[in-house]
Amino acid sequence: MCCPIPISTHRSPMCGDRSFLTRRHLLASTFVAGLLPGAFGRAQAQTAPMRIISLDYGLSSTLLGLGVTPLAISDRADWGRWVREPELPAEVVDLGSSLEVNRELLAALTPDLILTTPYLDGISDRVAAYGRLLRLSVYAPENGAILEAAVRATRTLAANVGREAEAERFLERSDAFFEDCRARIARKAPPPMAFVNFLDARHARIYGPPGLFDNVLARIGVENAWKEPSNYWGFQTISIEELSRIQDPKTHLVAFDPIPGDVLPKLARSPLWQALPFAQGKQFHVLPPALMFGMVNEGMRFARLLTTLVETRL
Amino acid sequence: MTAPAARFRFSPPVLVVVLASIVALLAWRLATPYLAVPTVDGYDVRRMVLHYSLLPRAVTALVCGAALSLSGALFQQILRNPMASPTTLGISAGANLALVVATLYLPALLAAGRDAVALAGSAASAALVIGLGARRGFSPFSLVLSGLVVSLWCGALAAIFTLLNDRYLVSLFIWGAGSLAQQGWDIPLSLPWKVGLLAALAGLVVRPLSLLELGDESASGLGVRLAHLRLASVSIAVALAAIVTSAVGVVGFIGLVAPILARLAGARKTLAVLVWSSLIGATLLLLTDTAVQLLAGQFSDFLPTGAVTAVFGSPLMLILLGRLKLRQRTLPRAAAGKWLAFSGRKALPVLVVAVPFVLLMALCVGRGIDGGWAFLGDIATTEVLGLRAMRILAALSAGVMLAVAGVILQRMTGNEMASPEVLGVSAGATMGVTIAIFTIAAPGLFLQFGAAALGALVVLAIIFAFAMRAGLAPERILLAGIALSAMVDAVVGVLNASGDPRALLVLRWMSGSTYAIDPVTAAAAGIAAILTLAAVLLLRRWLDLLPLGAPQSMALGLSPFRARIVLFCVAGLMSGIATLCVGPLSFVGLMAPHIAREAGFTRARPQTLAAAFIGGTFMVLADWIGRTIIFPYQIPAGLISALIGAPFLMMLLRRKA
Repeated sequence: MCCPIPISTHRSPMCGDRSFLTRRHLLASTFVAGLLPGAFGRAQAQTAPMRIISLDYGLSSTLLGLGVTPLAISDRADWGRWVREPELPAEVVDLGSSLEVNRELLAALTPDLILTTPYLDGISDRVAAYGRLLRLSVYAPENGAILEAAVRATRTLAANVGREAEAERFLERSDAFFEDCRARIARKAPPPMAFVNFLDARHARIYGPPGLFDNVLARIGVENAWKEPSNYWGFQTISIEELSRIQDPKTHLVAFDPIPGDVLPKLARSPLWQALPFAQGKQFHVLPPALMFGMVNEGMRFARLLTTLVETRL
Repeated sequence: MTAPAARFRFSPPVLVVVLASIVALLAWRLATPYLAVPTVDGYDVRRMVLHYSLLPRAVTALVCGAALSLSGALFQQILRNPMASPTTLGISAGANLALVVATLYLPALLAAGRDAVALAGSAASAALVIGLGARRGFSPFSLVLSGLVVSLWCGALAAIFTLLNDRYLVSLFIWGAGSLAQQGWDIPLSLPWKVGLLAALAGLVVRPLSLLELGDESASGLGVRLAHLRLASVSIAVALAAIVTSAVGVVGFIGLVAPILARLAGARKTLAVLVWSSLIGATLLLLTDTAVQLLAGQFSDFLPTGAVTAVFGSPLMLILLGRLKLRQRTLPRAAAGKWLAFSGRKALPVLVVAVPFVLLMALCVGRGIDGGWAFLGDIATTEVLGLRAMRILAALSAGVMLAVAGVILQRMTGNEMASPEVLGVSAGATMGVTIAIFTIAAPGLFLQFGAAALGALVVLAIIFAFAMRAGLAPERILLAGIALSAMVDAVVGVLNASGDPRALLVLRWMSGSTYAIDPVTAAAAGIAAILTLAAVLLLRRWLDLLPLGAPQSMALGLSPFRARIVLFCVAGLMSGIATLCVGPLSFVGLMAPHIAREAGFTRARPQTLAAAFIGGTFMVLADWIGRTIIFPYQIPAGLISALIGAPFLMMLLRRKA
């Protein structure tokens, strides 16, 4: 296995966190018990650490990376499906879909700080009524390379929650981690690789610049075989035969789970797919899910998955 | 559709040859790079792309185009309706919805047979649309109106199911938008024999179909059994559309365009129309697909062919509209049935009890942080109650306005499928929001509302300009409206299939949630509802007179023209404001007037009031269900109301038949 990834080390809560968690826990249970008038909650909040709500997976996992457990996050139900790591503490409340954050819960949770992204600007006016809004821009047309934007956003976030030191340590760890991956990958001198999510048996999303995956590939020294620029989210929708635009026959193709059930059997019957040198045998690989719209944590997860793959399969 | 043909010098073969040569030119451009000698050693995938992607894709396009056009031509011949087609009758959309539901919830069914699932879906929508149409003597307008309503409903539902299930992967969108991409010969080899079989069956009905041109009675006299013939032809047409949808998804409007082109080019006899439609449809779809591939290559972006044909095909409806003859009809009085065994007087107490009950429940019953149900309970602070009240007010006002707009439109047109959803105003609002979301970097809520209002106004203006020319015939306006809706739908389909996450925002908006309501909007909606309701009650005399028909109402001292303009304006305003609150597809405006009439409220004033109560309460109930049932996640009120409302309405309409 590859090195223990930093995410798991920095998650062990410090003393301060522990007391924070307990207090927060207590507070939450008072909500449930129905003892709570709004004023009581607010009085508590002044002495307790910041009550932070995050409406974006990338920001949520970055918070955990800074040693802060968010009070509640959006789309919690799908965390295990896309983000996977770090593991989310059980007490984090699910706020519902990020595009329609449950306002009744927001009002009841009385957050101090709400983290949003440009993608959620449509609801930011609504959400702003329940706490100070911090809008961190990673996925936006003007930002360019996502990994750098994510690092900038991490620092801004840290400054706003008083965790600058933790942020620097977190970024150093991630840098060291990427460097380590780079060194391990360099020993294998891997061929160019392309990364896709299958949409159905005929279509896929392929990841290119300026996306997170592409940036990470550059960082850890793997050549992205797909060089065409994508949208600012970092992907392009293609039909399978367009994979033939990849020129180098030595290319390896990596597909992320979840792969819809009928895709691989159907592709197996496609002569075109069979003809793609990177579509089979040793040149085709499947990786566990990785969030394509994440930040530094998700970049590290991708790097770790890929490094393991390169070390074990190439 | 025969008159304009004289202007064309074309004969059908000429048209096919012209289309085919354009295809050949484009196809040459597309294929050249793949014909070149490979430059990379040992990696000869270009030849493979040519053999296993471009060629099968071309064959698929040809077969699908032919099948859809044959289906459309059959529909047009048997229903004698120049606007009939798999798209306009909701057949493809029904198949698509069935496939989406099966994919998401019953994957085992798909394994048993994709075609069968598609067939079941399209047969259901065909039965529905044609069943409704039969009761109106297959009037072209009624039929296409019901068809497009079903089509939009199925499309919206399919999109929203997808949205609820898969935030990141948009496979179903792509497929719903009809991509012809192929990587092998599986589909192009299995489709032709199915289509061929059905075409052979169609060949069997050609003779009786041509006898039908002599008129129903002469045909019966010559031994044609009309009911059997209708059933057989429609079944063949439905099956053709279903297998295409099952193979490649929804390819819009080809089945409408090709038969029309065939007739414009001079095909007269049934056999000629069927044959040339198929050939023209085949080349036309291939042409579109080749152009789409060339274009997509240019922008390095993904364009689903089916949605592209819809974007270009739907405006054709507008052109066609001007050429159709139509008769003014009156409201079918027999419909005031006693289904609910209520007279208006008896229904009143039910309303009086139900309305406050629903309002109270919507306000007080909710779920706590731990997800448990509670009457009031810990979570219900003043702030939360205020939030709920706001959404209740918005839903109530929207429901009231949609219901009353529905009453106006149904009374004015005498068409039971008339409703604000099909007026096109909602489509305009959707388009406005879509443009705002895609052109402005980060449109705030206020900007989105502004864009929606602007879009609604623009469409209203277009429809009016169009309607003035058409003499303000109500059914034309409705059909123009729904043609615009179909176009907007297609544009949104293209955007969704591209996978841009912003498309999710548009979809959210379309699904009709009261989520984004703020106190000002809610209050404004409330005031608008009261004012417009008062205005309608003042105009109730017009609403009582107009259904009697233009001559009668004129004799009673009413200028139908002026009355219609005013009423359309009011209905447009109401549906525009309501759309801002609950989205374009709630179907409350379609449903509430029917229920009111069924309950015995037949005259204008009682029907308006009862519909307002029913619509408002229903919307509040839908909003409450949406807020609580999968807490903390939320289902948009518009979707819930469409989900409950549409089947209920169909039941109601069937009962009356």
